[in-house]
Amino acid sequence: MADVDEEDYVYFGTPIEREEEISSRKRKAIAEPGTLRSLPPWKQEVTDEEGRRRFHGAFTGGYSAGYYNTVGSKEGWTPQTFTSSRKNRAEVKKQNIYSFLDEDDLKDIGGNTLETSMQYDTFGFTAAEFARKKAEEEQKKRPSAIPGPAPDEIVLPASSSIGMRLLMKMGWRQGHSIKDSNAESLSEIRREARKAFMALSSNKAEPDISEKDADGTDEFPDMSIDVLRNSENTPVYVLNPKQDMYGLGYDPFKHAPEFRDSKRLRESKSRETKRSKVHMGSLLSSNSKKYAPGFGIGALEELDAEDEDIYASGFDYEQTEVELEPSKAVSSSSGDRMLQLEHKKRGSLLGFKLASDSDYKLERFYPPAIPSNFRPIHKFGAPLDQTLKNYNSVPPPDAPPPENTNLRLLIEGSAAMVARCGKSIEDLYMEKSKTNPLFLFLKSGAEGYDYYVRKLWENKQKFVDNLKPAEKLTAENRGRILGERPLASTTSRVNDVSVKAREVINTQSSHGDTVTKPISLADLPDSAIKQFKHDPAKQERFELFLKEKYQGGLRASGTRSSTSTSTMSEADRARERLDFEAAAEAIEKGKQTIQISAPSTDHTKDLLGFGEDRFVSSTLIENSETKLEETNVVYPKREQFEWRPSPILCKRFDLIDPYMGKPPPVPRPRSKMDSLIFLPEIFKSSNKEDAKSPIGNSLEASKSGLKEAEAEPSASEADVAPTSPKNVERPVDLYKAIFSDDSDDDEADAGPALNQALNPVKSSEGANKTLNRLVAGDFLESLGKELGLEVPPGSIPGPSLNTNTVSLPEEQKSCKGGDDRDNTPFPKVKETKSKDYGSTVDSSREKKRSHSKHHRRRSRTPDLDPDSGSDSDSHRRHRSRSKKRHDRRDRSRSRDSESSDEAYMNRKERRKKHHSRHHEHKKKDYGDKYSDKKRRS
Amino acid sequence: MASSGWELAVNESGVLKGHEGAVLAVRFNGDGNYCLTCGKDRTLRLWNPHRGIHIKTYKSHGREVRDVHVTTDNAKLVSCGGDRQLFYWDVSSGRVIRKFRGHDSEVNSVKFNEYNAVVVSAGYDRSVRAFDCRSQSTEPIQIIDTFQDSVMSVHLTKTEIIAGCVDGTVRTFDIRMGRELVDQLGHPVNCISLSNDANCVLASCLDSTLRLLDRSTGELLQEYKGHKCKSYKMDCCLTNTDAHVVSGSEDGFIYFWDLVDASIVSSFRAHSSVVTSVSYHPKDVCMLTSSVDGTIKVWRK
Repeated sequence: MADVDEEDYVYFGTPIEREEEISSRKRKAIAEPGTLRSLPPWKQEVTDEEGRRRFHGAFTGGYSAGYYNTVGSKEGWTPQTFTSSRKNRAEVKKQNIYSFLDEDDLKDIGGNTLETSMQYDTFGFTAAEFARKKAEEEQKKRPSAIPGPAPDEIVLPASSSIGMRLLMKMGWRQGHSIKDSNAESLSEIRREARKAFMALSSNKAEPDISEKDADGTDEFPDMSIDVLRNSENTPVYVLNPKQDMYGLGYDPFKHAPEFRDSKRLRESKSRETKRSKVHMGSLLSSNSKKYAPGFGIGALEELDAEDEDIYASGFDYEQTEVELEPSKAVSSSSGDRMLQLEHKKRGSLLGFKLASDSDYKLERFYPPAIPSNFRPIHKFGAPLDQTLKNYNSVPPPDAPPPENTNLRLLIEGSAAMVARCGKSIEDLYMEKSKTNPLFLFLKSGAEGYDYYVRKLWENKQKFVDNLKPAEKLTAENRGRILGERPLASTTSRVNDVSVKAREVINTQSSHGDTVTKPISLADLPDSAIKQFKHDPAKQERFELFLKEKYQGGLRASGTRSSTSTSTMSEADRARERLDFEAAAEAIEKGKQTIQISAPSTDHTKDLLGFGEDRFVSSTLIENSETKLEETNVVYPKREQFEWRPSPILCKRFDLIDPYMGKPPPVPRPRSKMDSLIFLPEIFKSSNKEDAKSPIGNSLEASKSGLKEAEAEPSASEADVAPTSPKNVERPVDLYKAIFSDDSDDDEADAGPALNQALNPVKSSEGANKTLNRLVAGDFLESLGKELGLEVPPGSIPGPSLNTNTVSLPEEQKSCKGGDDRDNTPFPKVKETKSKDYGSTVDSSREKKRSHSKHHRRRSRTPDLDPDSGSDSDSHRRHRSRSKKRHDRRDRSRSRDSESSDEAYMNRKERRKKHHSRHHEHKKKDYGDKYSDKKRRS
Repeated sequence: MASSGWELAVNESGVLKGHEGAVLAVRFNGDGNYCLTCGKDRTLRLWNPHRGIHIKTYKSHGREVRDVHVTTDNAKLVSCGGDRQLFYWDVSSGRVIRKFRGHDSEVNSVKFNEYNAVVVSAGYDRSVRAFDCRSQSTEPIQIIDTFQDSVMSVHLTKTEIIAGCVDGTVRTFDIRMGRELVDQLGHPVNCISLSNDANCVLASCLDSTLRLLDRSTGELLQEYKGHKCKSYKMDCCLTNTDAHVVSGSEDGFIYFWDLVDASIVSSFRAHSSVVTSVSYHPKDVCMLTSSVDGTIKVWRK
């Protein structure tokens, strides 16, 4: 507005801003009254000449507000809505100084913030408090030299307040009472106590509390003057903040004040230790922060925020027992105490304290001086093997053990020792024998010497045998030692007679567990039969297998059950069987086997070579197997299989899926055995088919499945139903799911007989939904139209439903239930009433109908009127039916069906109407009720 | 064929040092300007072998790294090893983009396909698995488990996955045809390598023999002997001209054979210990070898 004016005039010079403002305001004030007057009086504003809202008066204050300056309105006083609930708490408004300032004040302040100035803080409370809080906050923000909240007595306002300064100028000194000195014994005592405390606290070595010291220097001279002048002091009232967890007013040291000092001492000490720990930047136990007790962290891990005790109870897990020697602690010099602290820092755990005096002293043992000629490699005097070999060569004759059992035991023991540890032990024994007659047997010719020699040889033999396989401890050997069952693939090994295997035989035979040889196989070479020596159980089975094979007899199933252990799986057994067959075949070519075994020694060396390497033993097996086969197989050999890449792989390789995403027929068996075992005959044959035509088979399979389904004589019609194409064709599942009744009807269309058969199952459900359908009938139709689906006009035929109701009384109930659902409060009442009236229903019904019709007419839009004709039609039909039955329970039901007829008619005639039907029903019911009442009266 | 015949990378021109412990594989990138190495020290390293510069170290593996492959656009890496996972790396940032899980034990070999969309890995768990780099899923999109034993090496062509297995087979999975070709060699296959024309496959067997197969027929074309290869995972390859066959040896030697007549053209001691990997420059006469002794050597003519 002002801008427009400005454009009209030409200004010279600079206008005075304020005037301009005022004038604009004035103008506003002038302009507004017109609009104001139109407002209700309580909304009108009183303004001053400058256009500001005017204060009411000099003394009442405030603007005119509310309704004539009341808190109410025209209607009266309405309280502020009370909005306090658990979820929505009434907001607690925090007042600060700014809520008392208006914009003018704020403007005056400018960017400055309001604070309590130290200068006028006479008693040093607010400002000091504020300063302390600030300091604390800063503490929290960054780790400082002084952790934790700074003690009150340390942080004091540095500058004295104006009041204090004035007093000082007037000759007052701190600590003095302002009033005239009057000796007060109590204050004297207090002062003394205070002094003692100050002395104590100053005694604490405190390099970092310089402020305190500075303050202290102020204070102490005064005190000394005080003392000199012997005048009174106002005691500085020291507020001790409550820091313990005791109840209010409870003083644990009430009866033992001497402990109070010690506690205080301890506290201050602990504070100091904390501080010093921080100085150290220690990894030792507790830091200034609290860490969860009971959860340690590793020595190398750093303390994290996560390690902080988030559940800190506020307790400091400090010692709580009272120190027994407070006096000592007090009296001891500060330096001494520091030393103590040092100790504490070092070793003591939380909750423990170092023993003051202990006998324990750390003893240091220096490593022994190594002789200059010492060589760190040990050399064995004589190679063990050589001595062993000596024993190997000539087995001494067997000798009978001596009668003396003690001697026998001694001989056996020493023989074992000598065998294990070598000649040196024997020499030792020899030397002993010179003094001890017990060892006489060591001399040749003495009693028991022969036995000793024999035993020694035996032991050596054993030792050698044990030693050798241990030298080449393969995974298999180890497994065998540990009693593991060899892997399935391992068992499928057709073993050559390798050096290693021979060793195994040796050990076995030497330990006496020889395998009995089947008589019939005597002519076969031993090595050929013992193909599975590494697995005695298997070897046994193999031999049994051979026996039966050579001797004939039934071995198909009987053998299996007799030989196989229950632990073996069917697959293992079959695989083993195949192995056995293969091995037996190999044996049959007896000579060949021998031939193979001869050259195979050189390649077994190879095998041993990679027995040690990182490849698993199965490699070995595979290899040895192929080696054996090498006689008749030429490498490289090429085989071809079907393989199905996954569609996504094809996509990623930018290739067309060769199988077009068809699922594989049956996963290709990995070997013959698998198919032998797992699949029964039928499947196998089908499998073959699959193999023949891998691509076309899925189609075939589906075909055959269809055929089967077709060929199968249908036990019931219901069975056929799912395969019938009609069901498949229906695409609108949702539709069907919601109004499943509709499908019923469709089926009814297709074949009434089928429908009849199905009805007992479906009808109750269907009946339940009848009403829904009625209500939704029109909607459904329109939906059908939208979906391009033809809903046959006769889809909800009244008569068919009626026949159902006739045949099924239970259905009627449920149907009535459906009715109930629609108009809940009424049906019961209705029923009882109607029962009372028994056979007179017809006439009453007639009345009712007309009544309800009347209602309906009234409520309906005129274009719906043609319905009435159909209505009457349905009435007629209904009446005839009810005459037949005279069952009052059917009333609601029949009305339903009637209304369904109605709906049907409606649909036929006017398809546009959608909603009002529901309302109509309700209204009808109201009407019924009304008429009932009438009748009763 | 052997036009540049005697130009073999037999002169040591540089040593790349940095790995602690054995270096298990060395691989040129697609254009041969850089190389990647991986080793027992659980790291991957990117080098410029021509200037002898170590560029970057990729650390994240928890166990030894056995194989590494880089995409054709040099943007991504994939590595595998003892921790049963494939690590899919961003080359420049050195961050792991994804870890593909699925293998039940150590993964021996890994390769990208032509479009860098699929990673195919071969593992000790007797399977070859393909992972999709483009999806968020870390699960394999294809598992091939027809192998009887540890799969040592895998190679990809445009349409095929070729894998060498300790069960003595070289298996070719033709994605386009949907078939599996099994070439039984009768000896555990340690490593396979494709000729540059992709018509032949060179298989290093644990009987200290290299076998050259014709891929179309499965025919054995030639056998190369003389080196020692019995227990370690070692690489073999063909030279850039396909004129020679190169392989390391367990005694630290490098052997060159003439492709056609299988005669040893050159053999020299390259390392003090087992030569774990050889990689030939795709264009130039330049070769990289890595060894258990922790060094990578660059060889030129």
